[in-house]
Amino acid sequence: MFVGLLLSRYLNMSVEGQEAVTTVTPGQYILIEGNDDEYPFVAKLLKFFGDESHKQKKALVQWFLRLSEVPQNKKLLLGRSPHPQEIFYYLGRACDNEINAESILGTVHVRQDNSPDTLYVKLSWDTKAFNVLDPVLMQDTPASTPPKPALPLFPPCASPTATPVAGSVSDTRATMSAGKRSTLEAESIHSASKLSASKILSAKRRGSAADTPGVRKKLQLSIGASECLYCLFNILFSPFFPELRKELRNSVCFPCFLIQVTPSTPRHATPSIPSRTVPARQPGNILDEARARLHVSSVPESLPCREQEFQDIYNFVESKVMDGTGGCMYISGVPGTGKTATIHEVIRCLQHASDMDEIPTFRFIEINGMKMTDPHQAYVQILQKLTDQKVTADHAAALLEKRFSNPAPKKETTVLLVDELDLLWTRKQNVMYNLFDWPTRRHARLVVLTIANTMDLPERIMINRVASRLGLTRMSFQPYSFKQLQQIITSRLNKVKAFEEDALQLVSRKVAALSGDARRCLDICRRATEICEHSASHPSSTGLVRMSHVMEALDEMFSSSYITAIGCASLQEQLFLRAVIAEFRRLGLEEATFQQVFVQHRALSRVEGLQPISVSEGLAVCQRLGACRLLLLEASRLDMLQRVRLNVSQDDVLYALKAVRD
Amino acid sequence: MCTLSRQRKGSIHELVQMILRERFCHQRLPEKPVGMESQHKHLLELLRRTAVHGESNSVLIVGPRGSGKTMLLNCVLRELLEVKDVNKNVLPVHLNGLLQTDDRIALKEITRQLNLENVVGDKVFGSFAENLAFLLEALKKGDRSSSRPVLFILDEFDLFAHHKNQTLLYNLLDVSQSAQAPVAVIGLTCRLDVLELLEKRVKSRFSHRQIHLLSSLSFIQYLDNVRSQLSLPQDFPDTKFYDEWNDSIKTLCEDQSVVDVLQRHYNSSKDFRSLHLLLMLALSRVSASKPAIKPTDLLEASRVCMVDSKANILHGLSILELCLIIAMKHLNDIYEGEPFNFQMVHNEFKKFLQRKSHSIHNFDKPVVMKAFEHLQQLELIKSMDSSTAKIQKEYQLMKLLLDHSQIMEALQKYPQCPTDVKQWAMSAFG
Repeated sequence: MFVGLLLSRYLNMSVEGQEAVTTVTPGQYILIEGNDDEYPFVAKLLKFFGDESHKQKKALVQWFLRLSEVPQNKKLLLGRSPHPQEIFYYLGRACDNEINAESILGTVHVRQDNSPDTLYVKLSWDTKAFNVLDPVLMQDTPASTPPKPALPLFPPCASPTATPVAGSVSDTRATMSAGKRSTLEAESIHSASKLSASKILSAKRRGSAADTPGVRKKLQLSIGASECLYCLFNILFSPFFPELRKELRNSVCFPCFLIQVTPSTPRHATPSIPSRTVPARQPGNILDEARARLHVSSVPESLPCREQEFQDIYNFVESKVMDGTGGCMYISGVPGTGKTATIHEVIRCLQHASDMDEIPTFRFIEINGMKMTDPHQAYVQILQKLTDQKVTADHAAALLEKRFSNPAPKKETTVLLVDELDLLWTRKQNVMYNLFDWPTRRHARLVVLTIANTMDLPERIMINRVASRLGLTRMSFQPYSFKQLQQIITSRLNKVKAFEEDALQLVSRKVAALSGDARRCLDICRRATEICEHSASHPSSTGLVRMSHVMEALDEMFSSSYITAIGCASLQEQLFLRAVIAEFRRLGLEEATFQQVFVQHRALSRVEGLQPISVSEGLAVCQRLGACRLLLLEASRLDMLQRVRLNVSQDDVLYALKAVRD
Repeated sequence: MCTLSRQRKGSIHELVQMILRERFCHQRLPEKPVGMESQHKHLLELLRRTAVHGESNSVLIVGPRGSGKTMLLNCVLRELLEVKDVNKNVLPVHLNGLLQTDDRIALKEITRQLNLENVVGDKVFGSFAENLAFLLEALKKGDRSSSRPVLFILDEFDLFAHHKNQTLLYNLLDVSQSAQAPVAVIGLTCRLDVLELLEKRVKSRFSHRQIHLLSSLSFIQYLDNVRSQLSLPQDFPDTKFYDEWNDSIKTLCEDQSVVDVLQRHYNSSKDFRSLHLLLMLALSRVSASKPAIKPTDLLEASRVCMVDSKANILHGLSILELCLIIAMKHLNDIYEGEPFNFQMVHNEFKKFLQRKSHSIHNFDKPVVMKAFEHLQQLELIKSMDSSTAKIQKEYQLMKLLLDHSQIMEALQKYPQCPTDVKQWAMSAFG
């Protein structure tokens, strides 16, 4: 694969791939290396120029967009399902229209009428709406036909011996990567060093497919054939080639054994919960309404009490997006202080601003350390959210590395939220290292917001090179004070009058004193509305939620149940607890064996005038107390020698037992 | 005529046995849970709101073993599913901490029970990470008003808290606190300190609703309960037998000896599971020729329930083994519970033979050793050293796993125990 770049006097660019030299001239439509190997960017070449140092050749282009590049929330504006070959004339300003000449992959045909094989344009996209394309824009082409037939995007692959699509694509990629070295010297055709990472990976995958014994046995094919088969396999199961798939199914040379290889494996199962037959009932009375508003899941109209934090984060992200640079921020705070909610609010506002064209568009991606099985899954999830590709963790890391370290045209800023950062800790800390290293790259345009619970996480668990990259942009969310909690509830209720003022104050003071967790506060209020509803004699005559209801709810949630449990225990269990305390006092230790306690127990039951129980029964009583964790026990195979400890303070036990007797 | 009626009688008894056994073996739910009305109402309200309004909730049912947690939940579910709107609208998912020992298994089980799209037949496809991502995506796509509520029932909830990172609990509780598919997470546990097991961010996402099932049943209620448990239901086909049976149960529960037995059981534990065991034993003695439960049946059943597990083992020992146990008892008395080894026991035994014994002949040391090892196999004595291999058998330190009272009781009941052995056992020091 000899590759060279020649700059002709007419500022023509020649791309020499495989054995044919493809020359690109201004006015032609070209493919440009992008993030997606199968769908390179499409643009029209306007002119070539060299940069100041004359080392790099640059090109000025007019961009065309595929539908997949249109932001997700704008796709619906099209109002119809797009043709896979349809592209849109780009009228926006956000994209840099200068590209490196090396990133040109080849030429392509673009037409203005609907044709099945080549790309076509009918509409233009100005980041807000699709419009009918003004034909003038397309006409200024000095329509010079390319000297060679343009690279067909998807060569037909009906016969199994034809070069498969994946192969030709990766060949082109090899060309590109060799061109990147910007060396004009000739290199050997089969030099492995020229292969790009993706080529190596695809070769590897091909190899592993051939190694699968089951497949080979079933198909009885040679490796060469199975290699070809692999490509076809890819085509068959990729959702992008519906026509091709149909064609292949109908063709005789590959009977339907391909389907048998994977026995009805749900490859493209859509995750969804079945929908209900009867719609959910809407809240009926005022308490229902209040309950729905107080549920933690309901999104409030505004986020009170976090104005300062909101502004700081907003400014941070906005400035990074405006400048097209990257950065990290670390946010800490105990659970339930609104960290994630604030960031979501910031992103909502920024999205709105970008919709209004005040700031450039950006991508928002969210991962959560708790929502993955292994720290390395972070790469997989990020990549999947960025490009919709499903790959293994190692491959994803390589692709992301490439994505964030290479300059690419049309790159928009990515805002990455990493929740529960401490779960991404690994022994080598390479996941954290990468997450914080990418934003520092020149072309990354990545903003990383990280959240964890502890303030000193960087100092405690991160090694120096990771902590240093995280930087010093830190923020900590303080637990809510009672005034803030009260304000949160009031703003959530938003004029729904369901609580007495004093009741709200009691809840917020109590929670602020314990944890300052807003979730707890909302849950207590919700429970109080239920108690209020139940205590009312008539369902229609429910009044406001009063102090007494809130008190009851607080009691339910915060009071320890040990004392009630001791009070409700059977007589022998209570006696055993007394025996435990008596034995502790005798020994002067907080620990005794069952045998020792049992002697006390027997003596006590004589005093109480009860028939003494057998050892087996005594052990059963002891085990029951242990199961409730009123007692802490050793393993039960130690039988009589197992040691017994109290899990409650002695005073609590005595208090509870005294209450029972009175 | 006579044979026909006997056949009929036989079939009636089979019916009685069937009805009552279903009740005692927890195969049939009671009409209404006894003594937990407020808890029942609370749970029913909560789940009804999830099912009807699509409100997400989380709740823990806490109570000692045998207090009726599962029974309460099943009653509530039964009642909930009888409502027409709810019937086809909820998706219950049952998990048990003893079966789903890690999140990988639990996830597969959830996916299988929900019958999501990556399930084919009984198999769940995809790796652990894919399964988690798939389930979370599925739950995320749902919303309050249109997707079916999912009831996650986590039996032995405390065991789920021991899974790595508590990933499953975090995610389930997180879904219950965010605007995704409506879920209700119901945990059942007998540990009172279960909240302390949860990690702080998992704990913050839990709604802190706890339903405690602590029975405060008085003995009178307990007796009433026994009566109703033993009585036949009103739709029993043979009315004559129905009357007879229920009358006999009534008189049974008024019998003083029966009341004493039940009082003893009540003192020991208030839960229904141990009561059912007792009643089951009594019921099994009912046959066609013995058409009612007599007080003696209950006394016998109680005796079986209360019997000391080691008494029977002691009963089957040889005189030599018994002598060794007595020697160990004396060693325990002398050294105040310090461990002993075979040599010490053998010495003590030899002293007894020389001084006091008239009936027992001398045994060779290997024979005594064999008896000693047999006791160890029966786990009446237990080695105190962890590394058993290094020390010679004779010098391994042992401890006796028997109480004084157990030994003395066994001696009393032992058939034809020589008098000098008995006297030796009762004497203060060797």
